[in-house]
Amino acid sequence: MTPAEQVLAELDGARRGSARLRAWLIGLTVITFYAVAWHLAGVDLSRLATGLPKLAHWIGQAWPPKIAEIPMFAQRTAETVAIAAIGTTLATLLAIPMAILASRNITPLPSIYYPARWFLNGLRGIDSFVFALLFVAAVGLGPFAGVLGIALHTWGSAAKLFADHIENANLGPFEAVRTTGAGRFASILYALVPDILPVLLSTALYLWEFNIRASTVLGIVGAGGIGQELKNSMDLLDFARLFTIIAVILVVVTTLDQLSSWLRRRLI
Amino acid sequence: MTKTFDGRPAVEDVSFAVREHEFVAVLGPSGAGKTTLFRCVSGLLAADRGIARIGGDDISALRGRARRRVAIVFQQFNLVSRLTALENVLAGRLGHVPAWRGWLRRFDRQDRLLALECLDRVGLLAHAAQRSDRLSGGQQQRVAIARALVQRPDLIVADEPVSSLDPNASAGVLELLRGIARSDGVGVLCSLHQVPYARAYADRVVGLSHGRVVFDVPTERFDRTAFEHLYGELGTANVAASVA
Repeated sequence: MTPAEQVLAELDGARRGSARLRAWLIGLTVITFYAVAWHLAGVDLSRLATGLPKLAHWIGQAWPPKIAEIPMFAQRTAETVAIAAIGTTLATLLAIPMAILASRNITPLPSIYYPARWFLNGLRGIDSFVFALLFVAAVGLGPFAGVLGIALHTWGSAAKLFADHIENANLGPFEAVRTTGAGRFASILYALVPDILPVLLSTALYLWEFNIRASTVLGIVGAGGIGQELKNSMDLLDFARLFTIIAVILVVVTTLDQLSSWLRRRLI
Repeated sequence: MTKTFDGRPAVEDVSFAVREHEFVAVLGPSGAGKTTLFRCVSGLLAADRGIARIGGDDISALRGRARRRVAIVFQQFNLVSRLTALENVLAGRLGHVPAWRGWLRRFDRQDRLLALECLDRVGLLAHAAQRSDRLSGGQQQRVAIARALVQRPDLIVADEPVSSLDPNASAGVLELLRGIARSDGVGVLCSLHQVPYARAYADRVVGLSHGRVVFDVPTERFDRTAFEHLYGELGTANVAASVA
């Protein structure tokens, strides 16, 4: 037996033994997981089959659209875009100091690295929608509650994404500037910020895009924007109005997505 | 052969041959056109004028499986880091086996045995089951050479295969390439940055400067004049200084 044949036999032997058992176990676990999830999620294909014709019937009622109300829809959609813009900007500003605290490589206070990460995970773990629900109770109905909801959740997301970018940044230039005797903050501004600023801005724009879509439903809990009209139309079973609103949302969201991704391409 | 970019010639009227069993080193300062030349010879780039031929066939016209006739060893190894050394070597068989084997990464006994024998030849049989990103640079380059070997090529093109390796690993890699040329009847075309390596391992040295061949000589006739031709007086002065 040549050495190569010997190694081949060993490799095949290993595959037949424990590796094969492991593959079976993994397969079994995955199948069990999906079986349980299928059950818990209450998937019922027969209900989909009876529901689809209903949906088709509603779409049939969508024509003609409610043209007369479009200016009002546009204004409420502008409110939604504004909620997202103010909320995201606020979150981005708050995220910068938190991102520095939550970056293992440049934090001035290593002892609060983990608490900072936990705090951000907490913010991220609670959706804008849930925060908005709380703020509607606290500051009253209207878009401001939406702004606070968006800001708080996005604070967590933005700071985590920023911190990940900082941790992956090349620290060589930063260390080089530090060795010239520059202070930590000056070094961050001088060596790190020019490198990562485009990525951070691009991330902020992406979050804004995301938040515009998220804000369209905030009105359902009374936190302003087009969502309120969406819910009213559904409650009244006014499908022409409902589909007109969806069309307006689609146009606005797609346009702003295009604008934002064009800006992001220019940044990087 | 000539290749221009935006009207500026990168290689101009370059012509030479690599025979079976022959290890040809290409020397030249950065920007001399080595990379362009190698991309043309590898079939990754088509020349504007002239043809790179293998046997009688135009290399840039080789399509699909026929491309296996030219094997390439890259400066940065270009192994799939999450696959084992053996799986990386087996990639060299993809031009020989049915496509589905590639999709499923299932090779028959004969191919796997051939791959292991090639790994044995490059001295890495013991590392066959190791992930390629766990190997050192020199080991990775040797895996890449094994991959080129199982391809059963007529020509191996190595573009600065040792620029990112330490002297020991470099010597090992060049030794292997020369051995393959000698015993397998493969032509090896290899660009190098270090003159001593060319002296030690090549059968013939081709000097490239400003996109033109300035000399093409058997290694024993590669001397000081040729060196000055290539790198200029300053280079010679530096070498003289380092020798002194």
